[in-house]
Amino acid sequence: MIIPRAIPASLVLALLALLVLAPMAGLLHLSALPGYEPGDLRFWESAYLRRVLFFSIWQAVLSTLFSVLPAILVARAFAMQPDLPLRRLLLGLFALPLVVPGVVVVMGVVSVYGSDGWLPMGRSLYGINGILLAHVFFNLPLAVRLLLPLWQVIPQHHWQLGEQLGMNAWQRFRFIEWPMLRETLPGVLLLVFMLCLTSFAVVLTLGGGPRSTTVEVAIYQSLRFDFDPARAVMLALLQLGLCMLVAMLTLKFQRMPEVEIAISAPYRSRRSTLSSVVNLLLIGAATLYVGLPLLSLLIDALQGPFFKMVTSSQLWQAFANTLFIGMSAALLSVLAGWFLLQYSASLARQGRVTGARVVELAGSIVYVIPPLVIATGMFVLLSPHVDVFDWVYPIVIAINALMGLPFVVRCLGPSMRQSHARYHRLCLSLDLQGWNRFRFIEWPLLRRPLGLAIALVAVLAMGDLGVIALFGSTQTATLPLMIYQQLGAYLISQATVTALLLLLLCLAVFALLERGIGGKPDVAN
Amino acid sequence: MHSVLPRVAAGLASFLLCFSLQAATPNLVVYTYDSFISDWGPGPKVKAAFEATCNCTLELVGLSDGVAMLNRLKLEGDNSRADLLLGIDTNLTAEARSSGLFYAHELSLQSSALPDPWQDDLFLPYDFGYFAFVYNKEKLASPPTSLRQLVDDSDGPTLLIQDPRTSTPGLGLLLWIKKIYGDKADQAWAQLSPRIVTVSKGWSEAYGLFLKGEADMVLSYTTSPAYHMIAEQDLRFAAARFEEGHYQQIEVAGMVRSSQQKELARRFLAFMISEDFQKIIPTTNWMYPVVGGQAVLPPEFDQLIDPAPALLLDETSVAEQRKNWVEEWLEVMSR
Amino acid sequence: MLLIEDLQFDYSAEPASNMHFDLSVEDGEVLSLIGPSGSGKSTLLSLIAGFLSAQRGRIVLDNNELQALPVAERPVSIVFQQHNLFPHLDLYTNVALGINPSLRLLPAQIDAVRDALARLGLAKMQRRKPAELSGGQRQRVALARALVRRRKILLLDEAFAALGPAMRAELLDLVKTLVGEHNMTALLISHQPSDALIASTRTAFICEGRVSMLAPTAELLAAAAPPELRDYLGSQ
Repeated sequence: MIIPRAIPASLVLALLALLVLAPMAGLLHLSALPGYEPGDLRFWESAYLRRVLFFSIWQAVLSTLFSVLPAILVARAFAMQPDLPLRRLLLGLFALPLVVPGVVVVMGVVSVYGSDGWLPMGRSLYGINGILLAHVFFNLPLAVRLLLPLWQVIPQHHWQLGEQLGMNAWQRFRFIEWPMLRETLPGVLLLVFMLCLTSFAVVLTLGGGPRSTTVEVAIYQSLRFDFDPARAVMLALLQLGLCMLVAMLTLKFQRMPEVEIAISAPYRSRRSTLSSVVNLLLIGAATLYVGLPLLSLLIDALQGPFFKMVTSSQLWQAFANTLFIGMSAALLSVLAGWFLLQYSASLARQGRVTGARVVELAGSIVYVIPPLVIATGMFVLLSPHVDVFDWVYPIVIAINALMGLPFVVRCLGPSMRQSHARYHRLCLSLDLQGWNRFRFIEWPLLRRPLGLAIALVAVLAMGDLGVIALFGSTQTATLPLMIYQQLGAYLISQATVTALLLLLLCLAVFALLERGIGGKPDVAN
Repeated sequence: MHSVLPRVAAGLASFLLCFSLQAATPNLVVYTYDSFISDWGPGPKVKAAFEATCNCTLELVGLSDGVAMLNRLKLEGDNSRADLLLGIDTNLTAEARSSGLFYAHELSLQSSALPDPWQDDLFLPYDFGYFAFVYNKEKLASPPTSLRQLVDDSDGPTLLIQDPRTSTPGLGLLLWIKKIYGDKADQAWAQLSPRIVTVSKGWSEAYGLFLKGEADMVLSYTTSPAYHMIAEQDLRFAAARFEEGHYQQIEVAGMVRSSQQKELARRFLAFMISEDFQKIIPTTNWMYPVVGGQAVLPPEFDQLIDPAPALLLDETSVAEQRKNWVEEWLEVMSR
Repeated sequence: MLLIEDLQFDYSAEPASNMHFDLSVEDGEVLSLIGPSGSGKSTLLSLIAGFLSAQRGRIVLDNNELQALPVAERPVSIVFQQHNLFPHLDLYTNVALGINPSLRLLPAQIDAVRDALARLGLAKMQRRKPAELSGGQRQRVALARALVRRRKILLLDEAFAALGPAMRAELLDLVKTLVGEHNMTALLISHQPSDALIASTRTAFICEGRVSMLAPTAELLAAAAPPELRDYLGSQ
């Protein structure tokens, strides 16, 4: 039996809507009940809201540009140096910043740039500088990982022609690389924008004070401090609307590729020493930038009570929880993303490009509804019927899977579209359907991006603090929550040890998943 | 293929059931904040000590903080599993009281260590502390001796504080300044503002930054130096004593109205204000115990500053004015 | 005249993969290269174009040594089977890139681009994108670019393999004419012996990294030896 692609995808979309809209409805309903003060309507016209909105957008736009533009250069440098020693290790390092809890990043950034740091910046660290430093630390490596595979799809003949025609570096970029970047860049920009827009602890702490309040903070304040669920929901919708607007803008700029894309071996041209030196400098600078805060963490952790801690059962319980939540969320997220992208790719193949984009966008954009809103709303809906404590794992996993979807869409989307465009007819003619089609066609073609997607979502979910902090207690605590609890109890050196353990776990999981699922790197990426 | 799914679901369900299975002995559920129940918090010792006498199971459920606990309880209403709530402070008691979700404890707290006699029919305190600015004696030779000196001296020490919207000490400082300056609090904040390095989300970020050397002083508790003395044998840290006195934080517990085990819950509250519970507090929660006096305090606590006079605004005016005061603060600090 | 002398290239340490070429191509000649897959035909073209560097030997055009020249400075144009054009650029731009990748063209150069497109029958399609063209038209654009480059050596790496027989014959004729007109030196890789008959007076059979036989095309195609040649032709 053939199940039309639209059915599982609609199911996923419906589930997404349910997961996001139902909690918001629950919260709105709550605020209509007697006993809750109606929200202060003046708030919507207040200078405070305007300031918060302006600041959120401003810092997010700056952070995005400072992360993604250098990332293009760094990814390009990596692509041009396929034989670089330790290349895989460096790229593994680039997957780490994503999982470091915000408070640990703040400490790392301060270790490097603080007044007693290695590269002291003094008071000027606090404000937009600190925010940018931390956001670029998070997002530049992510953007590098997402952009790097693009160089692999450039036909080798284009490089050879470029060389024969005597193109300089700029012309090569303009005629060969840019057209291909243009398809993927908007999605990466949107993703990084969303990540920066919803940043919270980093912005507040490094931002120097309430001048640096984002919409995310305002939502937190509405729900926690003022307990005004209606306002929280409205702010969340405002944030969603803002992202939709940005999505429209980025999509306008996007061009679907006009050429059949080849998977080629990296082109090893006889490049000049100058360009090699520039590439190595770029890679070195990026590695230092990403590595220094991590190194400071490592140094702190090695001075910590390492051996005393590894005997703690609570630590290993948290370790197991982290692994369990991360893996489950990654599988769920990739499964949901797979169905969505299959549908989107088949729409794109039929020329319904707008439809395809809307489906992908729906999968990505739910990210900006703060977990606090979803979790509180879910709690409102569930608590009259079930004991929410029994549902900690399913809820935390589901929300983390939701938060992972934009990454799945980013990693897997372009390859899925290409595979559809190239092989759909062939598969039809060979009557390759369902499992067989997956086994023989999609798995071998898509396992690399699939491996990256699963690995990314797994480490992201393992690093999650926003969701687990709302539900976790000691039995369900994860390593990030434990770090946060330790920091809250003077146990700073223990926290750094836990953080190191989390990083090592993430590095191992990332490498295993990416290599295990993605396969051996026969073509470097 | 068809038979696998239900089996997996059944397995999962029984797995989940394990968590909620009621033991034969009564199960007393206490909502508290999660640092209370961590390995290094009071939780494990409290659980062991109480279970040794009560013939029951004490289930400590950790939530992120007092606000989360109270919101959770409000959302659950009468369906809540909680018998007790432990870990809100006096800034939240008015709101908790008006929720109508709590039940009178009918216990009395005599000869407490609190500066003022305790009179509250719904909530009982289990520890308390004072907010203070902590500094490193090797780096700051002459710390300010009063809040006014701190505010007035434009060349004074740089500060790390927390956001009153997201953090208990942050709100504490807001109230402290309100208590001293009254209507002129906004001017005091304006004077302080240039020396505030940053305003963090929670206590841990600010304290971590302080230990990294980012500012001269950090907003914390008078008892913070005791941690460094006892746990790290580090004598460098001290809290600055301010003449005007220090703002107080009192942490309390209360019985939940819908509890089916009020007798047992009351026994827990009685245990909570006994010496067995109180002696656990100083070196796990790093706060002052409410009863027991010197007998339950480690000697290092003698070296801490005397925070008198204790400052506290009454809970009703805090509940009524908090929003306005925070807005005023936001306005000044955002300039 | 293009001279290839004692040109050696190793893909890897295995002796079986060693290539070793000796060859000469006259001015105005289209020399066809036939031979099994992996025999080294494309490697030879890459060595001439400079995409690969030989370990030993010489490539000489009219007494000028090419080996030391960077790719862009070699008097070479190449046309591949696919990916010759940049898909986001129109035909005019794709051809203009052959003169100057900065696209800053003198009026005379602009005329040269137009003339080349006209010569290949694409005068009315200047503003089209490659995706709007047929396969044969795309290869014409690539040839037009090779024309405007005015380089002596033209390399055709299975350039017409994906086209139908009639289109192939037409383009091969065209190549032969253009090479004659501009006095170029062309090397043509093809898998169709019939292509060699159309385009080339002489044909080389490449086998295991060597020029196994070089003879007038008809003679080579009819030859009884070497056995690899018979196997190759027999399998066609």
